[in-house]
Amino acid sequence: MTAAIEASQEQTPATQAELCRFLAGNSSGERLPVYPVGGRTALSCGGAVTTPGIALSVTGLNRTIEYPARDMTVTVEAGVRAGELSKLLAGEQQRLPIDIPQSRRATIGGAVATGVSGPRRFGSGTLRDCVIGISAADAEGRLYSAGGRVVKNVAGYDLCRLLTGSLGTLGIITQITFRLRPLPEFSAFVWSTWPNAAALDIAIGELMCSAVRPMAIEVLCPKAARQIVTESRLDAGRDDLVLAVGFEGTENEVRWQTDQLRELLHRAGAGSCEQIDQPEQVSRLWDALTDFQVQSEEPLTFRASLPPSQTIAFIELCRQQEVTVQSHAGNGIVTGHLPDSASTVEAAGRITETLRKEAVRHRGSLVLLNCDENWKQQLSVFGERGGGWQWDNRLRQSLDPQGLLNPGRMPAS
Amino acid sequence: MSGTASSVQSSVSPVPPSAAGRQLLAELREIVGEEGLLYNADELLVYECDGYVVEKKIPDVVVFPLNTDQVVQVVQACNRHNVPFVPRGAGTSLAGGCLPVGGGVMITLTRMKRILEVNLRDRYAVVEPGLVNVHLTQHLKGTGFHYAPDPSSQGACTIGGNVATNSGGPHTLKYGVTVNHVLGVEVVTAEGEVLELGGAVEDLPGYDLTGLFVGSEGTFGLCTKVIVRLTPDPEAYRTMLGVFETVADATRAISSIIGAGIIPAALELMDQGIVEAVEEAYHFGFPLDAGAVLLIEVDGLEVAVGEEARQIIELCEQEGAREVRRAETPAERQLLWKCRKQAFGAIGRLSPSYCTQDGVVPRTRLPEILEFIAESGSRHGIRIVNVFHAGDGNIHPILLFDERNPEQVQRVMRASDEILTKCIELGGSVTGEHGIGVEKLSFMSQLFTPDSIEVMTRVRQALNSGGLLSPGKMLPTAGACGMEHIERSHPGKQAAS
Repeated sequence: MTAAIEASQEQTPATQAELCRFLAGNSSGERLPVYPVGGRTALSCGGAVTTPGIALSVTGLNRTIEYPARDMTVTVEAGVRAGELSKLLAGEQQRLPIDIPQSRRATIGGAVATGVSGPRRFGSGTLRDCVIGISAADAEGRLYSAGGRVVKNVAGYDLCRLLTGSLGTLGIITQITFRLRPLPEFSAFVWSTWPNAAALDIAIGELMCSAVRPMAIEVLCPKAARQIVTESRLDAGRDDLVLAVGFEGTENEVRWQTDQLRELLHRAGAGSCEQIDQPEQVSRLWDALTDFQVQSEEPLTFRASLPPSQTIAFIELCRQQEVTVQSHAGNGIVTGHLPDSASTVEAAGRITETLRKEAVRHRGSLVLLNCDENWKQQLSVFGERGGGWQWDNRLRQSLDPQGLLNPGRMPAS
Repeated sequence: MSGTASSVQSSVSPVPPSAAGRQLLAELREIVGEEGLLYNADELLVYECDGYVVEKKIPDVVVFPLNTDQVVQVVQACNRHNVPFVPRGAGTSLAGGCLPVGGGVMITLTRMKRILEVNLRDRYAVVEPGLVNVHLTQHLKGTGFHYAPDPSSQGACTIGGNVATNSGGPHTLKYGVTVNHVLGVEVVTAEGEVLELGGAVEDLPGYDLTGLFVGSEGTFGLCTKVIVRLTPDPEAYRTMLGVFETVADATRAISSIIGAGIIPAALELMDQGIVEAVEEAYHFGFPLDAGAVLLIEVDGLEVAVGEEARQIIELCEQEGAREVRRAETPAERQLLWKCRKQAFGAIGRLSPSYCTQDGVVPRTRLPEILEFIAESGSRHGIRIVNVFHAGDGNIHPILLFDERNPEQVQRVMRASDEILTKCIELGGSVTGEHGIGVEKLSFMSQLFTPDSIEVMTRVRQALNSGGLLSPGKMLPTAGACGMEHIERSHPGKQAAS
């Protein structure tokens, strides 16, 4: 998938200072392209990279710098694995409320650089809402920071947000401070099936305006539902569209909400409706819903962004193209895997362009996440450039004038 | 509410306009009409400062555009004439964010105040920047949704100004600050082009330019439209007042509540000094002999808030609360919040002048910083009272003084600087929600390394290369054409949000 990175020479500095020295040497010497890598779980994100250079691993930067649990913040180096961080925080009944796929391997720096998210973004927001401090090294090895270690802070420009999701093109993230949340006491899902997409659309609209406050509102096409059911070893309906609504909180409030919701869904015409509240099952279901986006056997995976109200219509369009879809329906985010029949770049391009056109018509977008590297060079990864691209280019030119950091990841001007 | 202008009189006389100045004025008149222009010295006086009244500078012209197109034309005219320009909303900011450093053209956006779209299904609204914060909330009443950021000045401040300063407010503890509620902005750039950053749809490709823009204090562009996120109204509230013998007991209670995994919607502390003034002004029935009171609010589902309130009362009592009262009716709740949000209005009863700081410390370091504040106050012979967002460690010490006494004024400045330096020492920041503006420029080099400031400067130069837009703000290195250094001689009356 990433031949250029595999052919690159790997460097694994053990400290921030060492990483900076390496970058300074490179920028004044050989000027090789630098590809930051962590757990190597998201190397297919962004545009294709073509020229081998240096694979600069942050896995050597793996210390917890500070965890003042009572302040509910944590400062870690970028190479800490997401799963290890979760374990550390769980010891204090806390968590970073962000879903990170393949969390045993994924590094926290990689998660921030790619701006990953999952089902909980409806209730908890995204990584950009959690990063309160950041340090990064620019292409010349200049270490810079923004934000701090307090949860409220408006001193200086918010480079935390700028760097989150910047795909390593504005600096190599070395250290991050997060704000944390308490671990919920209890969690449950209401899993319902929908023979009729229009009824589901109306039900979601009602749910969004009702008294319940879900953590996640997931819609799955039948094929995705079957995958998730298998993955999480559930025994639940899977032959129609599925709406899986996740709740977290005290047992009392979760049970009150699942009761309310089941009533609402019955009224709205759900085929079947069941509650999943056995802790191991619930936990496996959260994991399966988080990891769906990285199932990699399919020829191409994309993510589309739409107004939430357009999600169901878009899912129906995907189904016509035999695309397997999961959607964070409350946020208008749709992840799709193309069918095996889309085995040529032309076929894949036809499907993604059809879908992209529809997303763009609603002022949304469609981004290719994972596919054959050669395809990425022939297809448009990000689509038509909209507002703000001029600023993207200017920022990249000013922070990486030699174009050494992850060249090709973000579209060039 | 923001503080009123100080009694320091400005003695600036109108500069006789040059030929070039007359030409620019004629062009601006062409764009916005005579009714959209102010240029007489007496009319301009209002615009010499915002809520930060220590430093003053009269703009040469104030323009009031009615739409994006007029903003574009004004900015292009300023560029043609090489004249600095600065955006302004209601002028309630507290750090000099809209001080027209270097003079020039002030672009006041208060006439662009329409609500352009409300979409409840997709949970957003599109508004113009001059819309007053509370007007959006009033407009949404009855829909089941609201706009969450609620700075104490919300009755006057504009959404555009909130975007520029990334405003907070008492309810940020649970709901976050402005940046967490802005999905996109339409921006007129420093060169006078229109850009759309972000949008009503989440996760658009590219860098998070919306996030970078919010809180940039008008140094990257002028926002002419804002797409804000709408938040569902909570079903129920429980509002409580914890009464403590000492400030230390109260701060321990704060840590216990949050340590127990409860995130209240708001958690505000008032010490004895401020309680006295508030009681005299609003007659709520606060105990005058208590060391501190905590205003605690939880919101959410009816089935959850009762239990949370019960736990909070128990935790407060464990930490030695003398009593915990509950607001039993909506009217009582409103009165409690009025006492908090208008606490600054009551300070006049304590002292002829005051100034407040906006430091932040990690929540668990609150006892240390409060002790330091008391100690610093007594060492400098300055009375200091406290009312602040305790839940997120954002202090607002209010230093009381008489500005007719210049020697006392100097002591206030020294105590303020000491307190902010101590915040940094404790791992915090010098501003939680008011911004750097011009007021706290000198602290940037204590917070950030020269390399960090260099990178921020590059970011600013990338987006505002001419330096005509908002010169002299945010960064100590920000290119400020014609900026005269204004010595701080007076702390101002400032209100916290």
